[in-house]
This record gives sequence, structure tokens and C-alpha cells, in this order.
Amino acid sequence: MTGSHRVIVESERIKYDFVIRRNITVIQGNSGTGKTTLIEALNEYTIRGDAGGIRLQSDVPCVVYSGGFNHYESFMKELTGSIIFIDEDYAFINTEKFAETVKESDNYYVIITRQPLYNLPYSIKEIYGIRTSGKYHFPEQVYHELYPLYDEEKPQDNQRDVLLILEDNNSGFEFYKKSLKQVECISAEGNGNIYKVVEDNINKNKNIIIIADGAAFGAYINKIEFLIKKKHIGLYLPESFEWMILKSGVIQGADIKKILDKPEDYIDSSLFFSWERYFSQLLETKTENDQIMRYKKNQLPDYYTSELVSNRILNVIPYEIRRCLIDIKEGN
Amino acid sequence: MLHIRFGDMEKVNYGPSWFKFNYDPKWLEDSFVQKMIEDVDKTKYMGGLVFDSPVLGPIPPEKLSGGVQTLIMIYEKPDLIFDATSCGDNCAKWLLEIGKMKDVTVNLKYIMQFPDDLNIYVDNKGVVVRSFTDYLYCAVDYV
Repeated sequence: MTGSHRVIVESERIKYDFVIRRNITVIQGNSGTGKTTLIEALNEYTIRGDAGGIRLQSDVPCVVYSGGFNHYESFMKELTGSIIFIDEDYAFINTEKFAETVKESDNYYVIITRQPLYNLPYSIKEIYGIRTSGKYHFPEQVYHELYPLYDEEKPQDNQRDVLLILEDNNSGFEFYKKSLKQVECISAEGNGNIYKVVEDNINKNKNIIIIADGAAFGAYINKIEFLIKKKHIGLYLPESFEWMILKSGVIQGADIKKILDKPEDYIDSSLFFSWERYFSQLLETKTENDQIMRYKKNQLPDYYTSELVSNRILNVIPYEIRRCLIDIKEGN
Repeated sequence: MLHIRFGDMEKVNYGPSWFKFNYDPKWLEDSFVQKMIEDVDKTKYMGGLVFDSPVLGPIPPEKLSGGVQTLIMIYEKPDLIFDATSCGDNCAKWLLEIGKMKDVTVNLKYIMQFPDDLNIYVDNKGVVVRSFTDYLYCAVDYV
């Protein structure tokens, strides 16, 4: 499935209005905000359709999974082009088998859970809470919306030496190491190790900045968010390093800007488990016929670390984080 | 004292389901239970089996949030272990309050944001933690 899909679930008393953009969306947050009411309303609609007093507007079918622990696989494989909602009481959401089912299907999934789902590559941009807006009194209709729970973090200062912790150990790591010669770069060799690397370096009196692939960082943010806020660590989560290269404009292609403006319209969830894989393939395809620019994930061509090109790629980084890196690079 | 076991755990109970099929109407008359409901769900106890929700209007106990239903089960059935992952961060202070009154053990699969002043026994490590930082350093190994 591709595209973003607006979903409106409504009765005389409640209204939920939100947009689902990727194959995996997670809803979490405080108790008592209306997560279960949303599922119950959608479930009523799944069972009874319009006859249940719930109105649903969506350009694709919205279905709640309410079957047994062992039946989800066949249920989800039978559906295509649908948004499947799953409530928190299903322990299977954290299994490899469920991840495989999601990967192989042509549906989008909205999962209600506070538990990190390490088998699923989901973006921190697609982790939402539910909030009600305005003042309300029963029986007036109460409007609920989704809001993103997490965001990138600015480092507190640019006075101390920077320690740059990268999730990447391939081309991305090579890029930063060569482009920012005066910055100490450490590869965590995977999202799962970032917390440990930060913890090991927390007392070095350095200005720590983390750069990781945002497209798959969703499961790791809960573990690291408290440390980041307490120690004022900078966190930058581009979709991926390849996305940064495409975004920088150093690769020619009339369609690249259009794709980056609305990736969800181009990334088929049945072909790409996470967006980072799509951007890698797009970059490789766009550069495969160019001897100088030909991109490979495990070996970065010199073209990308030449001063002019690397500066354009670094310019993609938000100013608050970039100023810490560039100042040091320029010896200021 | 509040005991927490982080990560996957066998034979842990799911609070909302337990509550819906096992609650005793007398529990709802307890002022501590009413305070938890009012704080977490912003919902007032009206008497009998009726609550007044600002969103849904008059509701039965079954319509309380999964978080507050789980808190009530932890409070009323301290001999059972419930999965507190059903409870959001706004339930944290109430878990600590229950822990001041009773010995309870809960399972947790995410890092709940407790206030900094806490007193929790972390079962996985066999230690008592008294600050959020110490709690965090224990939790990250298992969540």
C-alpha cells in the first residue's frame, strides 16, 4: 500500500481525525486519553458497518483485529490495502512472526502499545499520543487528534568538544569521519547499541550528539529519551544517511524533490519494510551509471567527502546541531 | 513496597480483562480508588456502578481506562502480578502510593516515567532504587 490516508471516526459524542502515513504507526501515551474508545468505535464499525451508529470516513478499509492469538497471521494475509488496528492486549505484537507478517503484507498497521517493538522498524515520527482539543462538556462531541510524542533534541551548548555517536558503521560513518576531521566520531554499530555507547561516554565532559536513522528508531526512543533530556544530548534523526544525500541536492534528478516531499506516495509498504531501504535503493539506482557518484552502502566514493559536496550534505542537518559540528570543523 | 519486574514474564495478568470480569462493586466505594479514577481518567464516581466522564457522560466501570482498571486490580489483588504496561506515565505516582500501603509486584515492559522521589524494589536486580536515575539504569537492561 502507498499514500497517506485520512481517517475520521465519528459519533454524536466523539470524533477522531488523523492521517496514517506509513506501514507502522504506534499510539501510546497517558492512560485515559481515549485509545481504547477509538479501538472500540472502530471495532463496532468493523462488525456492524453504518448500522452501529459509528461513521467512518477513509479511502481504504479500516479494520480492528479482535481474533485469537494464533489466528492473526491468516487474518492479516487475507486483507490487502487496509489499515489494521491492533490493541495492546495482544502479546504477539512483539514477536518475530508478527514482524514477518507485517513485512509480507500490503496493509498499514496501527498498534496501540507502550512496549518497544524491537522487531519492527518504525519511525519516531509515527509514534503518537491522543489529545482532546478545546473545552468540552458531555453530551457535546469531543474532538480527538493524534500528536507526535517525540521530536529531535538540540544539544545544550556548542562550547565543549563534540562527541558524535553514529548508528551507522558503513558509508554514513565514513562520511562523518572524513568530513568532520576534528570531531570525534564513534559508531554504535546499530540502533540497539546507542544507549550503551552514550552511557559509556556520558562522563567525558563532551557535547554528545547522536545521529541515527529515524526511519527505524521508534523502538529505541523510550530507552534513550530520559538520558537525552537529562544530559542535554543532541539527537538528529534523518530518515537515513541516503535520504540526507538525496535531500542535499548533490544528485541530479527531477523526480527526487517530488519523492522527498511526499515519500509515502512512492514507497510501497509491501516492497519496503522501512523507508530507509527505499532511500538506499533510490540513491543506488540514481547513481549506478556514474563512475564517480556510484553509491554503495559499504564503501563511500570520494565524491561524497569532497569539500563542496560534503558541505551540502552537512547543510541538511538542522542549524542547532550543525553549528556544533561545523564550528569545530572550521576551528572556531 | 512496589516491586517491579521488567521485561517478558510468564503468568502475568492483564488488568483490564481481570477488572471487567472480576471487579467487586464495593471496591468503587473506596476513596483511594475514587481518587485514582478522578486523577487518571478525570472521571467522578457518582455512586452505585456509575461514573461521570467528561467525554463519554455516564459510564459503567467497564468503560474506565485500561490504566486505571489495572491500578485498581493491583491495589485490590496484591497477591496477583499484573502487567503495568497497560498503565501510562500518569499512573506512576499511584503505583508508588499503592506501594506505600501494600506489597505489590508488577510487570513493566516500558520505561515508565516515575517522579524522582521513589522507593521501588527492582526484582530483576534484587535492589531497592530511590531515585529516577537509579531506576532508569536498572530498567534499560531489561526493557
